[in-house]
Amino acid sequence: MLSFLARRIAAALGTLFLSSVLVFLAVQALPGDVATQVLGKDATPDAVAALRGQLGLDRPAWERYADWIAGATHGDFGTSLVSSRPVGGEVSSYLGNSALIALVTVLFAVTGSVVLGILAGLYRDRWPDHVISTAALVGMSVPEFVVATVLVLCFSVALPWFPAVVLYGPDATVGQLLPAVWLPALALAVVMAAYIVRMTRTSVIDVMAGEFVTTARLKGLSTWRVVTRHALPSALLPTLHVIALNVAWLAGGVAVVENVFNYPGIGKLMLSSVQNRDLPVIQAIALISAVVYVVCNLAADLGAMALNPRLRTRGRTR
Amino acid sequence: MASIVSVNSLSVAYRSGGRDVPVVREVSLEVAEGRTLALVGESGSGKSTVAATLLGHLRHGSRITGGSVRVDGRDVFALSARELRRLRGGTVAMVAQNAGHALTPSMRIGKQIEEVGGDVPVVELLEQVRLPRPAELARRYPHELSGGQQQRVAIAMAVAARPKLLVLDEPTTGLDVVTQRSVLDLIAALRDELGLAALLVSHDLGVVAHLADEVTVLRSGRAVESAPTRKLFAAPEDPYTRRLLASVPRLDDAGLALVGEAGEREVRPKAGVAADAPVVLCARDVTIDYGRTRAVHGVSFDVRRGEVLALVGESGSGKSTLAWTLAGLRTPSGGTMTHEAGDLNPPAHRRPLPLRRRVQLVFQNADTSLNPRRSVGEAVRRPLRFFGTATGRTDAAERARQLISDVRLDPALADRLPAQLSGGQRQRIGIARALAGEPDVLIADEITTALDVSVQADVLRLLDDLRRERALACLFISHDLAVVRGVADRVLVLRHGVVVEEGPTEAVFAAPGHPYTRQLMAAALEPDPDAPTFVEDVAEWEDAAAPDDLWTDHGDGHRVRRWSPVNAPIAEGVS
Repeated sequence: MLSFLARRIAAALGTLFLSSVLVFLAVQALPGDVATQVLGKDATPDAVAALRGQLGLDRPAWERYADWIAGATHGDFGTSLVSSRPVGGEVSSYLGNSALIALVTVLFAVTGSVVLGILAGLYRDRWPDHVISTAALVGMSVPEFVVATVLVLCFSVALPWFPAVVLYGPDATVGQLLPAVWLPALALAVVMAAYIVRMTRTSVIDVMAGEFVTTARLKGLSTWRVVTRHALPSALLPTLHVIALNVAWLAGGVAVVENVFNYPGIGKLMLSSVQNRDLPVIQAIALISAVVYVVCNLAADLGAMALNPRLRTRGRTR
Repeated sequence: MASIVSVNSLSVAYRSGGRDVPVVREVSLEVAEGRTLALVGESGSGKSTVAATLLGHLRHGSRITGGSVRVDGRDVFALSARELRRLRGGTVAMVAQNAGHALTPSMRIGKQIEEVGGDVPVVELLEQVRLPRPAELARRYPHELSGGQQQRVAIAMAVAARPKLLVLDEPTTGLDVVTQRSVLDLIAALRDELGLAALLVSHDLGVVAHLADEVTVLRSGRAVESAPTRKLFAAPEDPYTRRLLASVPRLDDAGLALVGEAGEREVRPKAGVAADAPVVLCARDVTIDYGRTRAVHGVSFDVRRGEVLALVGESGSGKSTLAWTLAGLRTPSGGTMTHEAGDLNPPAHRRPLPLRRRVQLVFQNADTSLNPRRSVGEAVRRPLRFFGTATGRTDAAERARQLISDVRLDPALADRLPAQLSGGQRQRIGIARALAGEPDVLIADEITTALDVSVQADVLRLLDDLRRERALACLFISHDLAVVRGVADRVLVLRHGVVVEEGPTEAVFAAPGHPYTRQLMAAALEPDPDAPTFVEDVAEWEDAAAPDDLWTDHGDGHRVRRWSPVNAPIAEGVS
């Protein structure tokens, strides 16, 4: 079990390393570098060269990569070209705001959709299943910005319960942002839930038709016990990775939704940095997205270990 | 004596395409307290459906269309959900076919037994089913147990709440002969000890003869005959029962039994191998490894043209590994394998085409080895084109039809998909496909294991016919000694990848020399409640083979790996 864990973590670190290299190379491959970006098209070659020397851009790429990665592990991602503030601080304040949305979404969307998926699976081909499956299909087919717009129409225009847009900047407090979190979270949840609901449903149906569930029923156990103790651990196993991928998708999914609501999150920062060609910030966000993906998948693997004794007891002798 | 089960003209049907398809038709049966009734039938006979109704269970989409099921005086299908649960927990318990699938993978053994309820401590229950170190075992997960152990756990779970009735649905199918025998003995002992009534569902007449007091024979959902076990086996009345009984291969058949329409039985003497028949396949000191574990350890044998050599052993003995390696699906890690036409050591894709087509494998499971989306005609045509044994499209189609009729099937079936054929028909297609390359060596890997006994008899006959017609050399892999006795000219007994005995079939069966061979023979169940013990088992023994002195020679190619009895002077007297 320990060796499995160690191998999984090593693989995660390896993945992170490769993605950091990729991110770095991708930014290097862009036409022009930071110096030409800062000074603009009309800068003299001398000025560009001077700035390059100042920023250390004349050193070999691997040295700069080593510097960047060494800084990144301490939270130092360099300086933003736009605001001239440290990228680390700027990104983390936006990231915190996004984390608030993500947290609310994950909490409600994941638990909600797993429960709905289980219900649909248990009531297979009866009306609760039809309702849930249809709703999930609709949620899956509509793009998130449409969902977000419809939500704004319903719950801030027609019924003024939630603010339609956020008027605070990145330094807003949790108390200020909290009322604005619900609509973006709901929009993301609707899109995300669909996949999880469908996966859970299929998996529950499979497992409920399995021999060990029949055996448990024929032991005279109550339906509640059969479902919770016998069926669910096996049924949730394939769902875990779908959940992980969806949670990781949030990192990108928030970009669109945050812009609809003008929410000061990482997605908004990413969009404006791309528009302003703020390379250090883009680099940092890309790396953070990679970390989110890797962490989510690692969490899913650990969850799978908790649910599946075959993984835990590997290596133990018979 | 009072009846604990009383099924009265029960009919069950399932809905398919808007129509009711009957599965069980007006079946009536009674089980008296403390007695065992066996439901016997082939697949599709409805025996498992009837058994499950005793627990008030019907498969999804099935329903009762008539009759009633009373257990312990109560109508099972009139019970409330709560009463039904009490019935399942306390009065009736089921042991399912495949314990590996019937135990919940994510829950510890002890917990699963405990939740049944009942007052007997888990450790005591595990002791009762003769499992070693019960306290430690209770903390294990199902996948950490062997198949036999899993089945014992399932039995412990069934008797945990001290029910009055056990429903045993093919309780030993899928287990090795030796394991099967010990599990059956355990069931019999527990049943007598706890005074349980039992309903045994089985397709295996040997198991039934061993365990049941009464037998009901089902065919296509109808009960065709019911009788006390002795009477049924001694004087079966219904022609179907007679045919079924006659189809079971016996340990003392000197050849293949041919079964007539009314169940008459004629043993066809073996074809024999011509004295000058050349050796087509030769294996010397073949060793095969799976990673660090050695599956086959220095095995040598020859197969001559027209000869059937049987590889016998339990699962894990390496017999299938050996077959797959000869077919070129694995590479040996040592030794040599040669065919008349060339070297068989390289894997199939590196063997030259003319050599490749001459060694062909028939898989155990025709259901999974045929492409479900291709017609069976295509499955046969493909190797014809591939090996160049047919020239052109029309020739291939013509030859495929010929091959399909060679395996005694209607060539009109060529356009069907595998799913539209029965299990026996699919296995014949598997054989036809192997024959398409015009091989001179056919490797048959447990080809009748998944088949019903009457279908098995037909497929064995086909194999015997083909071998006579085509002088095929055949490597016949099986764990069923009675089948082997009827078809094989020579036998090779494998244990843990090592040959422990080999020789002409008659010699080995007349005087099995190795304790393992005896154990296998003693564990084989004859379809006769009064069958005498075929051989005496040897209790304790150990391997005594020295590198330069491996064999005890019994003459005529019959040799036995050296062994010696362990601190048991009695055993010496017996052997």
